[in-house]
Amino acid sequence: MSLLVLRFAALFYAGAVTAYVLHFARPRHAALATVGQWLLGFAFVVQAIAIGLGCKEYGGAEFFGLRGGLVFMTWLAAGASLVVQRLYRIPAIGAFVTPLILVVLLPTLFLVKPDFPEVLPEAVRRPMLTIHIVTALLGVALFAIASLVAVMYLLQEREVKGKRFGALFSRLPSLAALDQLNQRLVRFGFVVYTVALLTGSGMAKVVWKSAWQWDPQQVSSLVIWMLYGVMVQLRHTGWHGRRFALLTIVAFGLVVGSMVTLNVLPEGMTRHGGDFSGERK
Amino acid sequence: MNGGRELHLVGLSHKSAPVAVREKVALSGDDLKGALAALSDRPGVGEVMVVSTCNRVECYVYGESLEEARHFFLARTGEAEEHLYERSGREAVRHLFRVAASLDSMVVGEPQILGQVKEAYGLAASVQTAGAFVSRLCNRAFATAKRVRSETEIARGAGSISQVAVELVEKIFGNLKGRAVLLVGAGKMGALSAKALRDLGADRILVTNRSPERSRALAAEIGAVAEPWEGLTSLLVLADVVIVSTGAPSYVITRELVAQAMKARRGRSVCFIDLAVPRNVDPACGEQDNVYAYDIDDLQKVVSQTHAARAEEAIRAEAIVEAEVMAFALERETRAALPVLAELRRKAEQIARAEAERTLAQVGAKLDEKGRRSVEAMAQAIVNKLLHGPTARLKEAAASGDSDLPGAAAELFGVGEAEAPPARGRSRDAPDADIHTEPHR
Repeated sequence: MSLLVLRFAALFYAGAVTAYVLHFARPRHAALATVGQWLLGFAFVVQAIAIGLGCKEYGGAEFFGLRGGLVFMTWLAAGASLVVQRLYRIPAIGAFVTPLILVVLLPTLFLVKPDFPEVLPEAVRRPMLTIHIVTALLGVALFAIASLVAVMYLLQEREVKGKRFGALFSRLPSLAALDQLNQRLVRFGFVVYTVALLTGSGMAKVVWKSAWQWDPQQVSSLVIWMLYGVMVQLRHTGWHGRRFALLTIVAFGLVVGSMVTLNVLPEGMTRHGGDFSGERK
Repeated sequence: MNGGRELHLVGLSHKSAPVAVREKVALSGDDLKGALAALSDRPGVGEVMVVSTCNRVECYVYGESLEEARHFFLARTGEAEEHLYERSGREAVRHLFRVAASLDSMVVGEPQILGQVKEAYGLAASVQTAGAFVSRLCNRAFATAKRVRSETEIARGAGSISQVAVELVEKIFGNLKGRAVLLVGAGKMGALSAKALRDLGADRILVTNRSPERSRALAAEIGAVAEPWEGLTSLLVLADVVIVSTGAPSYVITRELVAQAMKARRGRSVCFIDLAVPRNVDPACGEQDNVYAYDIDDLQKVVSQTHAARAEEAIRAEAIVEAEVMAFALERETRAALPVLAELRRKAEQIARAEAERTLAQVGAKLDEKGRRSVEAMAQAIVNKLLHGPTARLKEAAASGDSDLPGAAAELFGVGEAEAPPARGRSRDAPDADIHTEPHR
């Protein structure tokens, strides 16, 4: 049932992508941006229902697998981009963010083999875990949007600096707006990610009796956290514009890289996701 | 054409006359109102409107000939004679539509002209020299301009150097709230651009020049603050947009100077716009991070691109104008048949009513309420059925441009010609009134 609703949500996402991309191609039709925003809003609501139904069906265990994680992350990314649209009114962002959401969501519509434990152990049934999952996924979603904004920045900078003034020049927002939005997303994402890291080590302490285990997931998370921390810090010393945009993209590349590696690593070194035996192997 | 009234246009513009002549005939405000009133009192003149901008003065007369419109110019200066152009009928309508759609402008697609035509119409309407015809004409012209604007890309892009500068700065900084603009040198184009940037929200405009007097004079003129030339280095730390237009033969803003300033600015973006020839800003400055440097050729290139793109769009715009001119003419011809129709119907209904009354006066006492109403209805029905065919055919004939049939119908039914168009002063927004204001063809 939840899958059916999710596929329905994907249809709305596809609609939002179409509207935003058409608006990007023909900015004169301002109504398309509004249509895109409404469709994105509908998709967000429908996906929320799908997630709620999924929780009922699997008791929340769904989100311990990669598939559930992606579903939840796309939902958070959609919510975040709705908020960004509301605050900044840059419809061009929709043309970049919604396609990515759809692309990430697509495999979850068809790969439905459960990749999560059937029953969650008592030990992890804590609100702290919920906070951990939500903040970790929201952090990554925000970093993803930030990196897309950085891509927009680089594209626009190429137009402005290269004296091209072509189609992108008129369609993309100003460099200042993109730079500022990028910075805010990184900063907010960092705060959220910090909470994820703290609750994560809190959970590790509960489950593994130690907050730090040299677990690959823990190590990569810490590295990512430090990288974004450095970026927030660099901002205060005047780093902005092109270099900051490049760094945002590199950092998110690292996030994706670590997620992929941790999910394909051989058994025994897998991320903590399915491992709640209480002891490390 | 038919000896009736037509739209006539006499005018001169940037294409036909030098500014020395244009400024002699240009009029505005109360002078223009007076001239409109005087002109419309001349014999053979129905309605009058004058479009007067710095690029054109055009006198539109709805009347019997264009002589009065010619006189409007020649009374001002005899020099105008050789620069005047004249149009009548459909040609005049097309001209107005093209002007309003900014197809006849110096910079094709510029947005001001539509407002100026609207103003001209508003002025003529306020002194009641614009009546039903001019009002319909202008509304159609505004609709045409709107269509051209929304259906073609004629207004896209920046059409002038300072517009390009503004667009660039906008794409770098968003708005300019809280930003400072520095004007180096006292060039006229620089001052123009600075003014445009202030409209974008720049709070502070600084001016510096080798000569402190000129610097102060320019600062006073555009409402800026004059700064000493010696402080240029520290001014570069302050300013976000730097417009350079000095007469210096070499680079005033060097790579080293900018590198130094960027350090002090902690990397905050800065944009140099070099309007000077020879160039005053080392183009190598733009290679640094967050430094954007443009020279006059860069800006000029955008302007020419815009013009080329607009010229292409103009072809599509002309097609729209042509279609609207046709539609306007057609509508006018259809309207021309209406007075005959209205008169015919009025007369027929009058007869029907009189006959019904007469019948009722004789036999009405024997009928009940329902019966009396039936008699009235019958009379009305006869009128409707009889007139249905002629009405349809008259409308058809008018729509296809056949102007003989309405005249024949008038003669045949004995309803006579529609009365002559009333003098100006008739309310221009009474829709029924203008059925009678136009002579049929």
